[in-house]
Amino acid sequence: MRLEAVGKRYGVRQPWVVRDVSADVAAGRLIRLQGRNGSGKSTLLRVVAGVTSTSRGRVTGRPPTGYVPERFPGSLPFSGRDYLLHMARLHGLPGDAGRQRVDEWLDRLGATSYAAAPLRDLSKGMCQKVAIAQALLSRPGLLVLDEAWTGLDQAARAALDEAVIERTADGGRVIFVDHDPARLAGRADERWRFDDAGRVQVTRGDAATAPPVTEASRSATESAGVIIELTGVEADSLSRLANLPGVLSAAEIAAPGIASGHGVAAAKTDRADRAGAGPVRALIQVTEPRSDAVLRHVLAWDGVHVVEVRRAGDP
Amino acid sequence: MTALLRYQAAILLRSNRWILPLIAYGVLVFSGAVGGRQAGPPWLSLADGLDWSAAMLIPVVAFLTRSMLTAEPDASRACVAAATSTVRAQLAALLVALGGGLLLAVAGTCFEVLANPAVTGKSAGFLGNVAATVTHPETLTAGLAMTAVCLLVGSAVGALFNPPLLRHPAAAMLATLAAAIFALASDVSPAGAALRHASSAQSQHWPSAVNVLSAACLLAITWSASLFAATRRDTRSASPA
Repeated sequence: MRLEAVGKRYGVRQPWVVRDVSADVAAGRLIRLQGRNGSGKSTLLRVVAGVTSTSRGRVTGRPPTGYVPERFPGSLPFSGRDYLLHMARLHGLPGDAGRQRVDEWLDRLGATSYAAAPLRDLSKGMCQKVAIAQALLSRPGLLVLDEAWTGLDQAARAALDEAVIERTADGGRVIFVDHDPARLAGRADERWRFDDAGRVQVTRGDAATAPPVTEASRSATESAGVIIELTGVEADSLSRLANLPGVLSAAEIAAPGIASGHGVAAAKTDRADRAGAGPVRALIQVTEPRSDAVLRHVLAWDGVHVVEVRRAGDP
Repeated sequence: MTALLRYQAAILLRSNRWILPLIAYGVLVFSGAVGGRQAGPPWLSLADGLDWSAAMLIPVVAFLTRSMLTAEPDASRACVAAATSTVRAQLAALLVALGGGLLLAVAGTCFEVLANPAVTGKSAGFLGNVAATVTHPETLTAGLAMTAVCLLVGSAVGALFNPPLLRHPAAAMLATLAAAIFALASDVSPAGAALRHASSAQSQHWPSAVNVLSAACLLAITWSASLFAATRRDTRSASPA
């Protein structure tokens, strides 16, 4: 995807809000957009998402896009779930495929309990979750987030962080604005900074917060991997584990499992009442950059306990 | 596009924005029939009745189009536009309003066929009226052509004087009303010209080919303008109410 000398103004006599922005947005890029209030961030995001046209220049090669607006007023005459089903159809996911994704995202964002309530009865945070879910449903090739984290609870913010990393790992492009400088710190591949004239300066790497992650160092850490041992895993949720982003393998193991070694970080242990029950023990292998996210995810599951976490090479 | 039409139709149905146009059209069509009879015999003929129900489509479809163009908040329209395209999202809203108008037109035509005699000045009961229409189908066909002209003109008026082309709510509503009256009263409008030509004719009220063509052109031009304006939609100006 390419931005070619993109300019935007709202009317012929209006000042230029965005001026002469050119950039290549390669697959898998995570881009943080920065600037003062009113500097044109939202406008540029709208242009990138294809929500409004450019006044000059053009955007080419834009993949299917998910867009999360800054504010999502719940004044549509639908329940959250019905709205998401409509959006799934618009994203080309009809019928059961759409229903599955809708339920998956409602669950991941922790919005299942009020999914049946009318949108206009929902709080700002709840509406925001619906807005995020609609953008992520189709695993879009371009995800545009305009302060999508504001108003979310802690768990949903973590889920959104995770979803963003997941998109880029899948080769999707993500462009976001957020006022928290710690948001996805060290993850962004590029920073686009607005000056007061509506021009954008592109910096490689998330220089403000962390050294850039080079391709070489990334592949080195990814090849290592982390092994997580779990108890209390329902047999049918093994495939769900295997489908988590970053999970290389997930397998059931014999009852007592691997003898726990010394210096093991056991996040939660609950061996006594779990041994021999219906749920099984499982070993999953995860890439190192994704291990925290997977752990966070697994810890939130009812009945599942993390009994061991170790590096893949270790005995 | 099917998904978009379904989404927009669901908005129209679930938001209850269809109720007011339905009531307004019902009252207008019914009062036309009653008024025509009170003027004394000969009773309103089917041709006159069809012209009346067609003419009343113009304001009703214009306001129905307005309802559809203001139903979706900018933020959710933006999400839809990102998933599909701004042009198709807007086109779906216009098409659903036109489809709603078509349903009203069908209902109005059925009412006129049941209530008015096709030939003589005296109503012969519902069945008698229907039978008379069947034996003289050209009256109905001419009425349907008139209905189509008015439907297109009503949709054109609604598209031209409402968001995103005209965003200020009060200005948009007054302009829509004024334009609908103008479209009925002036010979410049294809619908006005067709209706006036019809009332001077004796039996069948055919709109001329020029009227039909210019109504279609008017629709194409106004819809194009609305679609184009939708691509430069701006959240910062007055939000539609």
